[in-house]
Order: sequence, then structure tokens, then C-alpha cells
Amino acid sequence: MEEIVRAENLKKTFTLSKKQRKIEKTTIGRKTAVDGLSFSAYRGEIYGLLGPNGAGKTTTLRLLSTLIRPDAGDASVCGRSVTKEAYKVRDKIGFMTSELKLEGFFTPDYLFGFFGRLHGMDESLIRRRKEDLFARFGIDKFAEVKVQDLSTGMKQKVSLVVAIVHDPDVVIFDEPTNGLDVLTAKVVTDFLCELKAMGKSVILSTHIFSLVEKLCDRVGIIIDGKMAKDGTLDEVWAGKTLEDRFFEIYHTVTGETI
Amino acid sequence: MKLLALMKKEFVRFFSDPKLLINMLLPGILIYIIYSLMGNLIWQDAKEYKFVVAQTNAPEQIVAMTTAAVSGNGWSIEFQSGVQDAKERVEKGELTAYVVFPEVFEEKIGEYDAESGTPAPQVELYYRSADEESMSFFTLFTAVLDGYEHGKSNKFDVNAGGEKYDFSEETNVFATTMGRMLPFIVVALVFSSCMGVTLESVAGEKERGTLATVLVTSVRRSHVALGKVVPLSCVAAIGALSSFLGVVLSLPKLAGMAVGDLVASYGFTSYLLLFLLIMSVIPLIVAAIAALSTYAKSVKEASAYTSIVMIVAMVLSIAAAVVQSIGSWTVVVPILNAVVAMQGVLTLNISVWQSLVSVGLNLVYAVLLVLLIAKMLSSERIMFGK
Repeated sequence: MEEIVRAENLKKTFTLSKKQRKIEKTTIGRKTAVDGLSFSAYRGEIYGLLGPNGAGKTTTLRLLSTLIRPDAGDASVCGRSVTKEAYKVRDKIGFMTSELKLEGFFTPDYLFGFFGRLHGMDESLIRRRKEDLFARFGIDKFAEVKVQDLSTGMKQKVSLVVAIVHDPDVVIFDEPTNGLDVLTAKVVTDFLCELKAMGKSVILSTHIFSLVEKLCDRVGIIIDGKMAKDGTLDEVWAGKTLEDRFFEIYHTVTGETI
Repeated sequence: MKLLALMKKEFVRFFSDPKLLINMLLPGILIYIIYSLMGNLIWQDAKEYKFVVAQTNAPEQIVAMTTAAVSGNGWSIEFQSGVQDAKERVEKGELTAYVVFPEVFEEKIGEYDAESGTPAPQVELYYRSADEESMSFFTLFTAVLDGYEHGKSNKFDVNAGGEKYDFSEETNVFATTMGRMLPFIVVALVFSSCMGVTLESVAGEKERGTLATVLVTSVRRSHVALGKVVPLSCVAAIGALSSFLGVVLSLPKLAGMAVGDLVASYGFTSYLLLFLLIMSVIPLIVAAIAALSTYAKSVKEASAYTSIVMIVAMVLSIAAAVVQSIGSWTVVVPILNAVVAMQGVLTLNISVWQSLVSVGLNLVYAVLLVLLIAKMLSSERIMFGK
């Protein structure tokens, strides 16, 4: 198996503002979001980061997508370091998260071309890719409608195709089915399986057990910024349901019983 | 390619939104309409002058020269001698003006030695600058005296005594003030034009998360910064030029002059320097607002920062308009250098080197700000800090 993504001892700490300290009910000025996280993802596999809210899943994905830099440790995507070769990493990944938005004023058609050009693609390649992806996601009928006038599901689809306009080797999704209706969620999950079949690597974060069970080849359970368990689904399940196994691990790490 | 795509997006955003286009062009059109209407209301009665001027000891040659000059403008003049209480009558508006020459004026200027240190013979001209007719006579008569003096090798002075010759209120010296205030008005218009496009495009995009979507691609941060500043400067230039033209075309009407007269009073160099100065200020202001917008977390916060900078720029511009003599050190102060240079151009005291240095320095400052924006775009604390 070809290792596509490798995270080694990643650590990220944030300074908390006064407001954040109040929300977190703490007097400590810093919070460690990711604490020595290591894992590997392989070509043609879907890797799922599973954990409760605030566990550090999104921070891990932001580190991998070079939006933020780790305080310690490093990660590589297709052999490129996220700390030393961020620009090259960005060419290899497609990142989709709710914090990245598309300008509502523009149409899907324009935005697809715009982001294609930002990735250095030539016009004929952009056109071919657009025809393929727009048809696959049913965007072609809405290609000339401004994004602000599209439904939530259609906006999500447009965000997805824009994120992968350059046909990246690694696709990183933060909570891919969040806020989607069942039909759109199905289109997205089917597409993730297609990406896997095409030999792409997908890393996603979620707190939905069924999504991990359905899609993922490997899973990493993150609790309080640490990797509590990492491996193939069979290794992590250990003969139990994923849900039971998760709460067992959660209890072992935190001492809390849910 | 990537830079072009970024720039093109900003142009498309602007030129395909009629609301933005109207917002940009409307101020200039409104300024022109409002100022022109005001000018027409103020000057509608000032069509034909019939000067009635009291004189004492006026030489025949000067009377003849003045009469010829007045006739040349299509007006008429009546010189009156031995008028009682002439000054009071000028002040009351019963007379256009009152000119007083020393006795045997021509002999005195013939004998006068400019290097002797003794005061030159004086001509006194009492008038009201607030009154259009009186002011017009003053302008015309001093021009006649200048011509006469030129022929006599500077043998006398006009209104050199300590008396009050201008019976107008200070507040009515409109035209001069406007001439000095124009650079301030230009900076204010340019600033508001730049604010209109930059805040929304930079702080707005950051707040909505659309800028982060661009940052996750492999495009360089310096390209993102340039991709904002260059097209936004072009767009702001359209708005600023619209407002500037509105002011320049309507001010002469407000001051009761023909646009052609104003245009003719400046040469090609003046216009070129004015254009360059305005064009150098635009990218500087856009880059400054873009830098503040990049730093700010929201449009609201960026507006607050920008307002402070705008107030500072306005205060400096007003100071430059009010202070009579300002040091050459201002050439290194961004925006202020352009204001001072523009004043020089508009008051026909052009300093070409000062104008060109100001243009160059403002562009250098703009480039430095672009680099600062690129640096900030790379900062996760600024771009992604909660």
C-alpha cells in the first residue's frame, strides 16, 4: 500500500481570548487542540477521523490542508511537507469545510473556471472537467445561476466540485454530510466511494458512526486532541459495534461514562 | 495566469453589478449637478457691469487704459471726480470702487528711485470683494495698473498701506479658499471611493470565508494581495475621477467663471502632474484600506480602523490647505505629499520634482503595503484566529 498522507506527532495549541475562556469556563490562556497526533492514510482508501465536538478533528484537517501550521511535528501529503512545502501540498489536496465559502455573487460556471485557473489548469481541461463534474452532480442546470440563489444542497455540491476542480490526489472533507438533505448526502457519499475507486485518498472527519462504518477503510478515534485508537475498521472494532467500541475507548481515556 | 484570474474576478465582480457601478459614478454626477445649480443661482444676475468709480488724481493715461479694458469686456465705466464720502459710498454699494492716486502721480514715479529705500508712491483702491461687480473691477483695474507699472519699472505700489481696502467680509473670499481646498476635496473623494470598493472586497470576503477558499489553493499570497489592490485601484480610480471631474467642472460655475477660463489657466504639465498625483494616491489608499481590512475580523472592524486613517488624512489635508508655508519634509509623508504638490500645481507654484517624488514615494508605499498584506495573508493568527 502506498502511503499518501503521514502525520507525525502533530501538535497545535491555540491562545484563548477572554471571551473563549469564559465559554470554555477556564482560566487557562492556552488550549492544546491537537496533542502529538500520528496516523497514516493510503492511496485508494478513505480514512475517517472520529471524535466528539472539540476533539481536534477539524484542527487536524486544517493542519493537513496547510491553512494553519503545527507547533510541533509535521505531516506529509504525497511526500510533501505541510510545513516546508505548503504551496506544493495545496496542489495535491482538495479541502472542503464549512468555513470555506463561495462568493454568492458568482455562478458555479464562473467559480469553477476561476478556481481551475488558480490551480494553473488550462481552459480545455477546465471545460472537460466541468462538463464531467457538473453532469455528475446535476449542477449543469444551475451553472448560470448565482450561488446565492441556489439551495443549500446545491451550494454544497458546488463547493465540492470547486474543491476538487484540479483532480487532487487527496481529498479532505470536514463533516461532509453535515447540513445536507438525505438525497444530497447520498450523492456526496457515493462520490467519495467513486474517488476511492479512482485511487484517490479521502480523509474525512465526522461524529457519525454509520458514515464511518459505511465509507471508511481506516479510522482514527480522537479524544482531547490525542489519537486514542487508530487502525483498520476491523482492528478498531475488535468484534464489537463501532459505537460500543467508541464509548469503551472514550471511557478508558477520559474516565467518563456516557 | 493565476494573478490575472484573481484580477479579472475583481473586475467582473464590479462591472457586472450595476449597483456598484452606479454607486461609484453617482457622486461625481451629483456633485456636478448640485454645484452647477448653486452656481447658476448665485451668478444668474451677473451678466453686464456698469462700473461707477470715484477717482482722485487718476492720470489720464490710466483712465484711458481702464476704459479700453472695460469696453473690451463689453462693459461700461463712469469715472467720477470730487465725490464726497467716497469710501462710505463704496462700502454701502453706491459706488463700484474708489481709486486714489497721489498728486502729480506720474512725476512722482518718474523721480522715484526703487533702490533709495523710501516708500514707493501708493495707489489706493477701495472695493468690495464680496460684490461680484466691485471684485471684477478690482481684478481688471489691478491688471491695468500692473501693465502700467511694468512700463514704469516698478515705480509705485498698489494698496501697500496698512489701511483696509477690501470692504468685504472675510468669509466671502470664496474662490481663493476653494482653490486651496481643492486638494483636500480630492483626497476626501478618493478616500471615500477607495473605501467603497475595498472594505467589501477584502474585509467582506474575509468575514464571509470566501478569501480562505482562495488561500487553500496554491496561489501565492503576494498574488492574492496584488490581485486585490490593482483591480480595486482601477475601480476606485473610476469613482475618484468621476467625483474629481464633477468638482473641477462645477467649481468654475460656482465661482462664476467659465470652465474654459479655468482650463486655460493651467498648462499641460499641470494637468499631467495632477493626474499622476491623484493616480499615485489611489493605490496607496486602496492598499492601506486593504491592509486594515485584512487585519480586521469583520467589515465593521475594518470600517472603524479605516475611519481613523481617513480622519488623520483629512486633518493633514486641511492643515496643508490652511497653513501658508509648509516645509519640504512633507514630501515623505504619504497622502500629505500629494496634497501639498496638488496645491502647488493649482496655485501655479508648480514644483515638478516635488510632485514626481511624491508620486514615486506614494507608489513605493503602496508596494510596501502590498507586501505587508501578503505577509498578513500568511499569518494564521490574522486569517484564521477566532
